[in-house]
Amino acid sequence: MRTTRRSFLRLVGAGAAAATVRLDAPPAFAQAGHPVKLGVLTIRAGIAAPVGAAGLRGTEWWLERVNRAGGILGRPVQLVVEEESNPKDTVERYRKLVLQDKVEAVLGGISTGVTLALGPVAEDLGTPWLSWDGTTQKGVEETMPNPRWAFKSVDNEVEAIVAGMLTARHFKGIKTVAGIGNDYSYGHDCWQAYQAVLKRYTPDVKFVLELFPKLGVTDFTSHLAAIQQSRADLLMCSFWSGDATIILKQAAAVDLFKTMKGAFTTAGGVHDSLKKNFTPEGLLLGYNTMYFDDPKGSALLKQFVREYKAKYAEYPPYECDHAYFCAESYKAAVEKAAAGSTKWPEKATVVRALEGIEVESLSGRRSWREDHVHMCNFYQGITTHKNPYDFVTIDPVEVVSTKVAMKPAGTKLFDWINSWKI
Amino acid sequence: MLSGVFHGSILFLVSAGLQVVFGVQKIFNLACGSFYALGAYVGVSAVGWYVGAGGPPALFIAPLAVAGLAVGAVGVPVERGLLRFVYDRDETFQLLLTFAIVLMMEDAIRMTWGTSPRSTSGLYLTYGRVGVLGTTVPVYNLIVIGASLAIAVLIGWLLTRTTFGWIIRASADNREMTEALGVDMRRLHTTVFTLGTALGTLGGALVIPATAAMSEMGIELIVEAFAVVVIGGLGSMRGAFVGALVVGVLRSIAISVYPELEMLLIYLIVIAVLVLRPRGLFGGPPA
Repeated sequence: MRTTRRSFLRLVGAGAAAATVRLDAPPAFAQAGHPVKLGVLTIRAGIAAPVGAAGLRGTEWWLERVNRAGGILGRPVQLVVEEESNPKDTVERYRKLVLQDKVEAVLGGISTGVTLALGPVAEDLGTPWLSWDGTTQKGVEETMPNPRWAFKSVDNEVEAIVAGMLTARHFKGIKTVAGIGNDYSYGHDCWQAYQAVLKRYTPDVKFVLELFPKLGVTDFTSHLAAIQQSRADLLMCSFWSGDATIILKQAAAVDLFKTMKGAFTTAGGVHDSLKKNFTPEGLLLGYNTMYFDDPKGSALLKQFVREYKAKYAEYPPYECDHAYFCAESYKAAVEKAAAGSTKWPEKATVVRALEGIEVESLSGRRSWREDHVHMCNFYQGITTHKNPYDFVTIDPVEVVSTKVAMKPAGTKLFDWINSWKI
Repeated sequence: MLSGVFHGSILFLVSAGLQVVFGVQKIFNLACGSFYALGAYVGVSAVGWYVGAGGPPALFIAPLAVAGLAVGAVGVPVERGLLRFVYDRDETFQLLLTFAIVLMMEDAIRMTWGTSPRSTSGLYLTYGRVGVLGTTVPVYNLIVIGASLAIAVLIGWLLTRTTFGWIIRASADNREMTEALGVDMRRLHTTVFTLGTALGTLGGALVIPATAAMSEMGIELIVEAFAVVVIGGLGSMRGAFVGALVVGVLRSIAISVYPELEMLLIYLIVIAVLVLRPRGLFGGPPA
């Protein structure tokens, strides 16, 4: 056959094209060995930095285990970490993660002030977003009842609801209650929910004082003077950061809890700073969704606590568990969506697989409700000094599921509380 | 009321540091809050070391105060290494630089001491409690109030009765003339800035037995120190003293009487001062 100029050029072109194809490249559909990128949004500056650090540490611990065991569908996992700050900047970083870094999913989000803005963006960009601790609630009302891509944390007010139930159980005869919380949505919503629940159990209870200092205040001596003057039987406090430690220390200095009971709904977030010499026994203390010293805790929890303590010289708080659950449930959903094949599933298939999925997290079994909200247990109990630590722990440990303490999908919080049969 | 005075005493130390630096260097030092946080963390470590080494708990205030003052030496590298480059620049640059120091210090603290709140366990009540005006007050609070008053008197004496004080006041009034008379401004700036820093770090160290150290604790205080300075008058020591007392006590009264007014009341006073006496209660005439 004669080689014409045209057939020669065709041959050269085909050769050049063939030369660009690497012979060792795997078939495109399998993608085995190519890292799968997961975006992580966390807070590393400001008052919530300890919470953000715990979430990131929980995710990194999960990452090491998963990669050691061969990754997800044979692909090693890589994290792309971005900062959660104000809503505007965080939304920009979220876009960057999805559009520029091309992550398969985004994990994280702590402040509801930020995640309220992230929710609609996640829906627009069509990438799964699994929030650690942030919801899409405005106050106590859900703003995204039927999301497709956004998976949200437990309703913010759940720990106050659990504390309300346990106050009625452990502190019978309470007639007057004072409340203190931070002056933003979380503090106000917790106080409202707590009052509504306690009122159901003890209808004649009176709420005699409410104080809402700004987030970040480090001197509560004036607030404590007002609380003492109120002569309430019980103080409810929803502080969750260093302010919980400070108010307990300053309360001890004026012997507040000699005459008053206390319900600290969320102070377990800084549990190892609640030293015995200023945190009395007999307070109700909430640890959110993970109690590091749970006597019934799983082998996974015990291993995590041991390794976390060895690495960071601290005992882990709850955010580790939120974060671990988000990552682990994503892995389980990808494997479920792949249904035995090695082909990486479409994002849309993964979000369908996430709905209702249940996995073992650090705190035990956790799942996603059909409307994309975490389902888990809350741990609260009465403070005790009988432990080998220099800080308080709880005994008994009360475990309350979100099945009883979180408003069902599509209901209004206060209608739901008022419908309880007690 | 006493709780307000206690808060006011700490606020005075930080504001005094702010004032002395502004008086001489004409820099509004946002980093004063960070020095306060640094003092708190160093105080926790110093007391932890002291108790660990078997020191008698009753004397813990000594290592606390010494550590608080000593860490004020950080003012030297900050002034020599950073601030001296912006003395002749626009105020915006000065504010930006001191704000950058705030952010850097916050991260440095987090890297050194971790993210969890740190506290001196148990020492707050070492000196016991006393009943004052029908309420129980930890004796430590009274010691801090006393120490703060003593420092106020000491600063007053330093500024009005010593050569160093005359030089400071002279350079605050007329920098060029002071320099022309042979005062080493370079040295003066370093000394004054270190003095300002040490007041902040001492405030942080002294407050720590009553509270817990958090890396962002300085930010809250900067805002209140602003209010103190506006009320008292920029650059005035007497202003810092009265302003701190006004802010501390009013905040305390508001919390007891009408909690919603806690911050509003302070800013209402700030606005009133700005409208009626823009230079503050003790501010000097405009240059």
